[in-house]
Amino acid sequence: MKRLIPIVLLGFATAAGAQSAMPAVTVIAVPPLTSPDSGDRGNEMLALGWQVTQLIETDLRQTAELMPLRPNRDDYYSYPEVTAPTFSKWRSAGAKALVTGFVQSRSDGRLTVGCYVYDVHKGRELARKGFIVGSGDWRRAAHKCSGLAYTAITGAPGMFDTKIAYVAESGVGDGRMRRIAVMDSDGYNHRYVTDGGAMVLTPDLAPKGSQIAFVSFADGKPNVRLLDLESGRERPLMSSDAISFAPRFSPDGSRIAFSMMTGPNSDIYMVGSGGGPAQRLTTSPGVDTGPSFSPDGSRIVFESDRGGSQQLYVMNADGSGQRRISFGGGWYGAPEWSPDGEWIAFTRRGQDGRRIGIVKSDGTGERTLTNGPGDEGASWAASSRELIFQRIGAGGRSTLYRVTLDGSEPRQMTIPQDGSDPDWSGVLD
Amino acid sequence: MRKAILLAALLTLDAAAQAQLPGLRRRAPVPAQPVLQGIDALRAEFAAQSGGTTVYFGAENVGLTVPARTVLTAQAAWLRRHPEVVVRVEGYGDSGDTRDHALAVGARRAEEARSYLVLMGVPAAQLSVTSWGKERPGLGRAVTVLVR
Repeated sequence: MKRLIPIVLLGFATAAGAQSAMPAVTVIAVPPLTSPDSGDRGNEMLALGWQVTQLIETDLRQTAELMPLRPNRDDYYSYPEVTAPTFSKWRSAGAKALVTGFVQSRSDGRLTVGCYVYDVHKGRELARKGFIVGSGDWRRAAHKCSGLAYTAITGAPGMFDTKIAYVAESGVGDGRMRRIAVMDSDGYNHRYVTDGGAMVLTPDLAPKGSQIAFVSFADGKPNVRLLDLESGRERPLMSSDAISFAPRFSPDGSRIAFSMMTGPNSDIYMVGSGGGPAQRLTTSPGVDTGPSFSPDGSRIVFESDRGGSQQLYVMNADGSGQRRISFGGGWYGAPEWSPDGEWIAFTRRGQDGRRIGIVKSDGTGERTLTNGPGDEGASWAASSRELIFQRIGAGGRSTLYRVTLDGSEPRQMTIPQDGSDPDWSGVLD
Repeated sequence: MRKAILLAALLTLDAAAQAQLPGLRRRAPVPAQPVLQGIDALRAEFAAQSGGTTVYFGAENVGLTVPARTVLTAQAAWLRRHPEVVVRVEGYGDSGDTRDHALAVGARRAEEARSYLVLMGVPAAQLSVTSWGKERPGLGRAVTVLVR
């Protein structure tokens, strides 16, 4: 079975650069995916193609950069048109880009979803890729196709085929049950991965989403634990019974940075995610916590109150070269380095509450993104253009929100219960 | 059988709870004071004789205040008289804090209290520490010493 080869035309690099300089929204046509199959099988594939088409539209509509034209099911699209679109038709419809493709059944029962992205004005292909998935996994193929279009047009990784982990909360007071939940970034495939027997906090997904590091009170005190999502096996990160918290995977998943108490001192340590001895990275008296790796894994941003108030610091991943980067007034915590390395998101506490903001790793360009007053714990989308965070509303209930860097209002996400401590994974394989 | 369980349960109810069950009260006269046994009795005695189970810290502060030292000193005296009792020192962070920082502050407060108890002669083996961060609302800034 032939597998389509991804192609990104070199000529597009300039167009992508011009695009990101302009805040203009790109209108993209999303005609129904077609199928080369015939007969009943063909009808089945066309029906599936329509579902894929609608999901691609939904994905792209959530972005700040793309505006999909609403697909029309009666807009019959022939298989030859996939590789030779009638560009004039889409130009007159007002589109600047086009994403199309096909769904084909395979002899092994799986599906090939072919995905093609075009620059309608220039009349040329920007990207193409084929995805082979099980028939129950068509949503992933659609998310991959959305990501291909998003990346071809914006130059940034698509965040559609990603997962979000968070702490689902139900009940009241000390009896409040907290379980770690994992879902696709569009809310589908929602499931609980801890049973609620112990209080849990701050899940962090491994880069490919196969493991979760989190804090559990199962032993009566906060301890970092690792959960393998495939096998369901759970183990403590460290054999020591010292209080540990704030776990964060390195970008390659091989290491975990976390905080551990020694006496009254909270310092940052690093350990291999498969085990081994922990290396101590900070030694200052006071609270050093909230580590987050730079995308190349060479540096770590963290928070420390060594200077008298909680502030952001950057150090090399071996603990050397520690220096403060936040100077804006108030307290800064919960830093998170963006996947493209440009920004560090943080939670800033002032007299009037907590807000989410971003700052460059050299301390310049600080911006506040949300109005608070109960915002906390931002985590980046793979695109580095959007963050997920938790907001405690007027009624004291905690919910999840998404906010883009373009200054638009945060949008509330739909989850079954209250939620906190969201963590957004990188793009899955 | 069912009646027997209800009667046994009543022994631990306080006066207000009994008032809601007049039919049962006639058949089972209950002492005016709840009868505490085992761990509950120890906890009550500990709280009464050491001036409280909770010490308070200033906001953004992990240092022990004079009233806090007074309570901890009395707790230490009681604990030295009860070497068989194990206690857990539980620290709390500030509710407005970020999550990880609150866990660390809670742990620091617990450790401050634990160290003071050790300084006052309580064997370290009698003591353990934990932090609730900001996860137990309403108890901010406090360290509670519980008899376990």
